[in-house]
Amino acid sequence: MNLYQFCYGIVHWLVGLVNNIWYWLGDFLPWYFGDLFTAIGNFAASEGHLWFMTLLVESVVVVVIALINVLNFLWIFRKLSGRILDFYGPYYVGYRIGGWLQNLADGMKLFIKEIIVPTKADRLGFLLAPVIFVGSSLTILAVIPFSVDFGISTSESGEYVSAGALFALAAFSIAPFAILLAGWSSNNKYTLIGGMRSAAQMMSYEIPLILCAASVFLLAGSFNFVEIVDAQSGIWFFIPLFIGFVVFLICLMAEVEIIPFDLPEAEAELVEGWTTEYGGMRFGLFYMTTAVRSYAGGALATALFLGGWHGPSFLPDEIWFLIKAYIVFTVFMWLTWSVPRIRIDQMLVFGWRRLLPLAVLNLLIAAALKSGGWF
Amino acid sequence: MDDRRKPRTTGVVLNPMKRTGKQLVRTLILGKPNTVLYPEEKLDLPQVYRGKHALDFKKCIGCGNCVVVCPNDCMWLEKVEDPELGKIERPGVDLGRCMFCGFCAEVCPTVALHMTTEFELADSDRENLRLSPLDIRDDSFGETFVEEREKRLVPVLDLSKCDGCEKCAGECPEMCIAMMPIENTGRKKPEINLVKCKSHGKCAETCPEKALTMTEVYESYFDMPEPKLILDNCSGCGLCARKCPSEAIYMLEMPGTEKTLKNGKKGKPKKRAVFVLEKCVGCGRCYQACKFDAIDMPGVRK
Repeated sequence: MNLYQFCYGIVHWLVGLVNNIWYWLGDFLPWYFGDLFTAIGNFAASEGHLWFMTLLVESVVVVVIALINVLNFLWIFRKLSGRILDFYGPYYVGYRIGGWLQNLADGMKLFIKEIIVPTKADRLGFLLAPVIFVGSSLTILAVIPFSVDFGISTSESGEYVSAGALFALAAFSIAPFAILLAGWSSNNKYTLIGGMRSAAQMMSYEIPLILCAASVFLLAGSFNFVEIVDAQSGIWFFIPLFIGFVVFLICLMAEVEIIPFDLPEAEAELVEGWTTEYGGMRFGLFYMTTAVRSYAGGALATALFLGGWHGPSFLPDEIWFLIKAYIVFTVFMWLTWSVPRIRIDQMLVFGWRRLLPLAVLNLLIAAALKSGGWF
Repeated sequence: MDDRRKPRTTGVVLNPMKRTGKQLVRTLILGKPNTVLYPEEKLDLPQVYRGKHALDFKKCIGCGNCVVVCPNDCMWLEKVEDPELGKIERPGVDLGRCMFCGFCAEVCPTVALHMTTEFELADSDRENLRLSPLDIRDDSFGETFVEEREKRLVPVLDLSKCDGCEKCAGECPEMCIAMMPIENTGRKKPEINLVKCKSHGKCAETCPEKALTMTEVYESYFDMPEPKLILDNCSGCGLCARKCPSEAIYMLEMPGTEKTLKNGKKGKPKKRAVFVLEKCVGCGRCYQACKFDAIDMPGVRK
């Protein structure tokens, strides 16, 4: 039973339950109302409506899982940074579970804060940018399955989005547009510089990232996540494509914008970068979305290079997938608290002179492996 | 050419990761982070920390030097009745004005006032911050640690016992005792040069009347003023001697000043004040008490 069938079962049961009450209510009404009730009930029980509701329930499941993971990720982020910098991190809120509830408390605090729009800001862009940023980041998760059975599939038979990996990469790279929009509409020099930096940074990391992903597509022969992961059942792709794996991780850090590459929000130079003018829960959403993107990035690296949900069978596939994504995130955090931020010119030089040749070399290796007949 | 090595991946990325990895292992697996979780556990403060005051009632002589030296005017002398010590004057502190400079503890001539390491002094009422002498009383606090104020053994004179035999001046190996005549009294008193004194203690051993005793005296960090007597104005009332907290003033009779009474007998002779400066703490209470302007003490407010 895959996620679609599970959700379909839930929806079917719920609709049946509601329809019973609905028809029962209709019996008390005069005939013209009763017919209308019956028509609505019949529509609710129709196959198209059930399919639509199933998709909605699936999205809710995926988003809820993503948000729980985000809480975990933020907790790991704060705890690990604390230990590396020799302090405790979150401690008292949720004392018995290591301060896990601190992020919930912070979120509640942010929720009760006022939403302030600067007077001279472009109001539409200012309010639209967080929506695009958060929405595009959550859209990435729609196509990444945790296992063969656990993911948003397009049909009852369990077929997945055929170009899921391409869709994930495309959704990933919408964010710089939202950042540029936020930076421009805030009408503030810091935010504008942050937004421009985000666009300039995208020039440098996007091409090596896509080239590394392309080498994986070349070896797997598919854009579909399930088929890519199935192709790694023998050997995980990070062994033959080790250069590509490293380059991919570096580009992913730049994509997620965590510290060595967090040029758009450089606290030391620009006050808070492109989020300077945002306060309250909008800032909280940006903070949360960084974790969502870390989670999506970890999942992407896991699916493309680390063998997805393959692992010893004493744990479920989904758990293996999550463990690998968490390990990738932990390595990100380790690197984040170890190295300083690079300059924007260094970023461009690094991207074009180092990462791009390595990515092309990696693509050549993949082509050689494919034409040699090993894959 | 440039001698600096070009930074490479190892130096820029891998070495820092090694360092932070070690730190992570140290704080996560092997031990705990450096943080002191304040409400549960407190930092072990050094003894020189300047927190709430502690006053030793038995050592304090009530001279009021702390009140005088306090830059914020946050101390005052309060009359207290103690079953053991009787009616005494002891200083109180207003912590709301105190800036914890520690001058009061440093100026105290008998080291009766200390600053403890207690720092949780916040209160919601300003009146509760005005601590009376009884609030800061802690007679045993001085015994809990080793006092670091410099102290030295010096001979201290009890002028009522001294008969001016000059034996101490003869015994002193540093030649720092000189017998000086006291004006109009016909007596002599040993003047001890404390700068030269090396604390041999021979003067105290030889003194036949036990007038000189070797006493531990704390060095003062402050240049305290000294009283000077203007003999012409002194009426011999003895108010200064009663006011002196360290009993450094003696009233001596001046022979030859007796008045002839009506019945032909001679009355009591006039008295004058004599200061023993080794005992003086420089508080200026004699200067403030004298009604005849007979004491001059530059640097003290009247």
